[in-house]
Amino acid sequence: MQETFDAPDPRRFEVSRATLWFDRLMGWLIRCGGIAVILAVFGILYFVAKEVVPLFRGATVAEAGSAQLPPDAKVLGVDEWGTTAFSYHGGSTVHFTEIATGVRHEHSLAGFEDAEVTACSFDPVRARVAVGTANGRVGSFVVRFERKADDSGGFEVVPRVESEPWFRLEHGSGSVTAVSDGDSGATRLVAVKRGEGASANVAILRLSMKRGLVGKGKLTLLGEHDVTPLLGSEARLLRASQNGMAALIACADGGVRYLLADAGGVSLRQTFEPFADSVPLSMDFLFGGVSAILTGPGGIQEQWSLFRGSEDAERLFGRTKSFPALGDAVPVFASSQRNRTFLTSDDDGGVALRHSTSGDTRWEGEVGIDPALAVMDAKGEHFLVADARGGLRRFHVHDPHPEAGWRAFFGKVWYEGGSGPVWQWQSTGGSDDFEPKFSMMPLIFGSLKGTAYAMLFSVPVALLAAVFSAAFLPQEFKRVIKPLMEIMASLPSVVLGFLAGLWLAPILETRVPSVLAILVLLPLTALAAGFLWCRLPIRVRNRIAPGSEWWLVLPVLALAGWTGWIAGPLVESWCFTCTDPATGGTIADFRLWWPQATGTAFEQRNSLVLGFMMGFAVIPVIFTIAEDALSNVPRPLTSAAAALGASRWHVVRTILLPVASAGIFSALMIGFGRAVGETMIMVMATGNTPITEWNLFNGMRTLSANIAVELPEASVGSTHYRALFLGAVVLFAMTFVMNTAAELLRQRLRERNRIV
Amino acid sequence: MDAPHHIGAGPFATTGRSRQGEPWVWLTAAGLTLGVLMALGLFVLILVKGAASFWPRSVERIEIRQDSATTVIAGIITQENERRATDGTLHQQIQIFRGNRDLSGEAFVYLDRKDITATTRPESMLVLERLEYGPAIVEAVALETGGTRVAAEDPAFANELERLLDEGRRLRKQLLRVERRDIGAVSRELEALDRAQRGGTVATQEAAPRRVALEARFEKLRAEALRIRSQLSAATFVGVTADDRELRMATGDLLDVFAPNQAGWTGRLGETLRRVWKFLVENPREANTEGGVFPAIFGTVVMTLVMSLFVTPFGVIAAIYLREYARQGLLVRIVRVCVNNLAGVPSIVFGVFGLAFFVYFVGGFVDRSLYADRLPTPTFGTPGILWASLTLALLTLPVLIVATEEALGAVPRGVREAALACGASKWQMIQRVVLPASLPGILTGIILAMARGAGEVAPLMLVGVVKLAPSLPVDTIAPFIHPERKFMHLGFHIYDLGFQSPDAEAAKPMVFATALLLILVVVILNLAAILIRNRIRKRFATSSF
Repeated sequence: MQETFDAPDPRRFEVSRATLWFDRLMGWLIRCGGIAVILAVFGILYFVAKEVVPLFRGATVAEAGSAQLPPDAKVLGVDEWGTTAFSYHGGSTVHFTEIATGVRHEHSLAGFEDAEVTACSFDPVRARVAVGTANGRVGSFVVRFERKADDSGGFEVVPRVESEPWFRLEHGSGSVTAVSDGDSGATRLVAVKRGEGASANVAILRLSMKRGLVGKGKLTLLGEHDVTPLLGSEARLLRASQNGMAALIACADGGVRYLLADAGGVSLRQTFEPFADSVPLSMDFLFGGVSAILTGPGGIQEQWSLFRGSEDAERLFGRTKSFPALGDAVPVFASSQRNRTFLTSDDDGGVALRHSTSGDTRWEGEVGIDPALAVMDAKGEHFLVADARGGLRRFHVHDPHPEAGWRAFFGKVWYEGGSGPVWQWQSTGGSDDFEPKFSMMPLIFGSLKGTAYAMLFSVPVALLAAVFSAAFLPQEFKRVIKPLMEIMASLPSVVLGFLAGLWLAPILETRVPSVLAILVLLPLTALAAGFLWCRLPIRVRNRIAPGSEWWLVLPVLALAGWTGWIAGPLVESWCFTCTDPATGGTIADFRLWWPQATGTAFEQRNSLVLGFMMGFAVIPVIFTIAEDALSNVPRPLTSAAAALGASRWHVVRTILLPVASAGIFSALMIGFGRAVGETMIMVMATGNTPITEWNLFNGMRTLSANIAVELPEASVGSTHYRALFLGAVVLFAMTFVMNTAAELLRQRLRERNRIV
Repeated sequence: MDAPHHIGAGPFATTGRSRQGEPWVWLTAAGLTLGVLMALGLFVLILVKGAASFWPRSVERIEIRQDSATTVIAGIITQENERRATDGTLHQQIQIFRGNRDLSGEAFVYLDRKDITATTRPESMLVLERLEYGPAIVEAVALETGGTRVAAEDPAFANELERLLDEGRRLRKQLLRVERRDIGAVSRELEALDRAQRGGTVATQEAAPRRVALEARFEKLRAEALRIRSQLSAATFVGVTADDRELRMATGDLLDVFAPNQAGWTGRLGETLRRVWKFLVENPREANTEGGVFPAIFGTVVMTLVMSLFVTPFGVIAAIYLREYARQGLLVRIVRVCVNNLAGVPSIVFGVFGLAFFVYFVGGFVDRSLYADRLPTPTFGTPGILWASLTLALLTLPVLIVATEEALGAVPRGVREAALACGASKWQMIQRVVLPASLPGILTGIILAMARGAGEVAPLMLVGVVKLAPSLPVDTIAPFIHPERKFMHLGFHIYDLGFQSPDAEAAKPMVFATALLLILVVVILNLAAILIRNRIRKRFATSSF
């Protein structure tokens, strides 16, 4: 036989160029795709954080033009858009100055021709200047601006002044030395001081605007009240509130009098001394007319607000906040007409923007002139300052989220009307002057409360089940039970939430004692059953294979459940009796007993229902991971222990549990993460009230539920919208930290088991 | 992996040691049993309640004596429970659905069992399904058409009723076609004309005659719709309630008539199947509390499919990159931990992201660049099915990446090396060896992702789901697929019906039925995933080296 040997064609082993090219292409594609996907996933954090960051930025202020006013202005105002300033100097003309061009117009005031104005004040909310004259008359005029489209496609602001009727004061004598006007739209109050020194007299005028069907309303005087006797000391500062019913009068003795006007006349409700016996340097109401900012000697600045000290007390003023001190000079003050921002001069000749809710300084800086007057426009986009010689500067303010900040989100804040600093979430209110409350704390508390009650129920059940399944359960059952738990884990939470809210809550409402009885009875009977069973003769016990306990215990559990259910009403009639408020008789009803005994509410949708239903979502998660951890404990360890004569529980307690402890711990953390972020069950099974109490029988509002309920209605870019995003970031951070810790623990466990 | 533990599998020792800790073993057994009972109990509860909502129950005629006055009501007993009165006594309270909301206001009445003096099941009681006011429970009196009257005792009554019902069905279909399709088309054309005119692409003189023609067509169609409507109300059904009040309604408003007390088992089964069918294929009526859930099923399916369309390639590519291409170092480990964690990030956070990124950022950009003529009405810059699918794709991406990585990792090293040794390039090895071997695993991941996506509601509430969508995201109007439209979803349907519906009690059967449907979808998807996974395990068990 002849052997032929051909050298192989080397090209046979060469990889075709197309293959190599395609390989390289796919390699690059997958690399790019993979990296892009991973980046996209992490982009989530970036985009959510991007929405949150503006919340923590301060205000930015930039100079935007200057102009010259006639000197010695007494009142400075501006239109809504910050384009035209007006100044009043006493007399019968109002000067309008266009800031962009410096063009000045004069408008004369009808009816002011022969008035010798000796006092005036400005109410920016109604754009009204109130004046008092030398011969004891008070009057007012309103400045209105209209925006009209001009020829060049831009807008032109057209000012207009409207004089209002004069009223002659009946009380006191001499010229008017101070006047202040407050208008709620329906009622109006004017506080007037006449004369100086010991003979000074203070009167309060109540006015009402009767609106006809057509045309302007008619201003009528309801009454003039001489309040000099009520004050008992010479008045120095008068401020009427925006609500048209109240006035604050600071007197020479350092006391500030709070006067309230109603149908019955004017009464003195309160005298408080903010700065001992020193007279406040300035006193001004904030937007809403509920709080006043007072500046005392040495520039101490404080906020005083109306609130009820206790449930049925009258609303009186109390000190709620202090701000950093200013200098000794009388400060310039202007309040925003959109929110609780106010402008004040600071200690080194500049101005500061402060916000009353959080007590934060939003911005401070130099304005280049020595401020004598200031005003903020109605949109809150500009402020104007003027010095005594008429130099005017306009500043553009960009501060979209003045009510935000670390303190507002995480600290206790004393809100207007509240009797102390609190954590509170209330994002919307009925009126324009509503003070939004954006504390994250009640929501974080709610999330933790819901999670805690869910874990309280789920952890024991899940861990016990995991131990039994990993250690004792025969393989053939395990193959069924594990998938069952997995399917349970993927049950849509909306179904669980609906069952909790509409099916379980009404059933459990009247059966709380039964539930409590069952919760106690179940573990006890299981233990007792075990105790009794192992005292049976060994022959009987060995007839049933070990590992079958899970179905042996079934009738025992059923019995325990049934007994508990029946025993509930009996327990109720023994332990939970209380007096019925309707009839006065004794009644056994847990729903009534609980509030009477503990002073906390009982609600149908409560944490008990929630805890149970959350079990369906949390138990399988904890079970699966803990079971894996327990099953992965190296077999030789348990076999060795058993061979040394340890009983089967002894093996579990001394070998299985300690070795798998890290894995079990990580299971708990993953379960926590699942519970904390659960949304639909939380929305549907809790009352969604943001409260901070651990009461088992009421609900909560969680971060996740809050987002789901409020985000669809929040306007894009608003503080509310961004605060909800902040909630998402908090939620993300909570779960991410937990999950990472759990993952690291699990990896360590894996290493350890490998060494074994 | 080690063989699983089965500690103490043998018989018990005869020493006292065997008793040690036994009670604790029983406690753990109780834990497992409780967990299993909870899971099974929930499935059974939903199954029973859901199925019961389709079963036609008998109508009871109940005489009640209260304060020496006798009243009669007819209805279906829906619930019996104990209620404690304020004086502490227990009462057997029964809840009865009596329907006839137009006549008696409340559809449900609550009775004390001790007040009932007599209960009968008259065969003549009919349950009418109608367009408005929910079902009616009456006895038939007559049918009036124009001047003719067919009394209920007349043998021709049944045939006449059947004929009128059929005609009603035909007319309603016709009406729907005219009102939805034809009138809708005309008004869309008018809108487009308006936009074109505003945008300056059509001159006014050109537009005017077209507008006149369209408006004339619109008027004609409206007259047509009016004519059908008048035909629908041509005949009247006259019935009488148990408390002797007369009920008159146009037969056009009558959807179906069923006499539960006459029907036997087969009749009821047939009615049940018919109701299941209608539930699956009909549109919802009366604030979603009646009718079917077809749009919600459609929305769920479309959203889930689009989601898996997005998530599959990206998830698989990312997993292949992480497992096969990336250098296995600290960075990849960190990335892997993070991806694992993302699977645990609350779904609502993904919803928030979807709203900020997809809806406002991407959607706003698309609107500004492509649909500027429609602004300020947003087209894509508002929640819609596309954004919802993308959000859920992102949500389920970690699930798929983890599953795919696991599947890729399970392909034995020997197989890969054999492929490389045969001269395959890396991609060829992945394409021809690794991917086919791990395909079942990837499929499992996709199915699990779909199950998760189908059951998720919270993020959808932010990115596109609505309680009632006027039109489906896929229909016969060009361009046929409308990714910007809002949609309905089974999960949200449950939330909306149970918690936002004006009459939660009346909506309950509907909620249970929807819950059953949703659970079935999710469980079937999960079971499929589990079965596939078990098959792979077996395969690898034999092919490992």
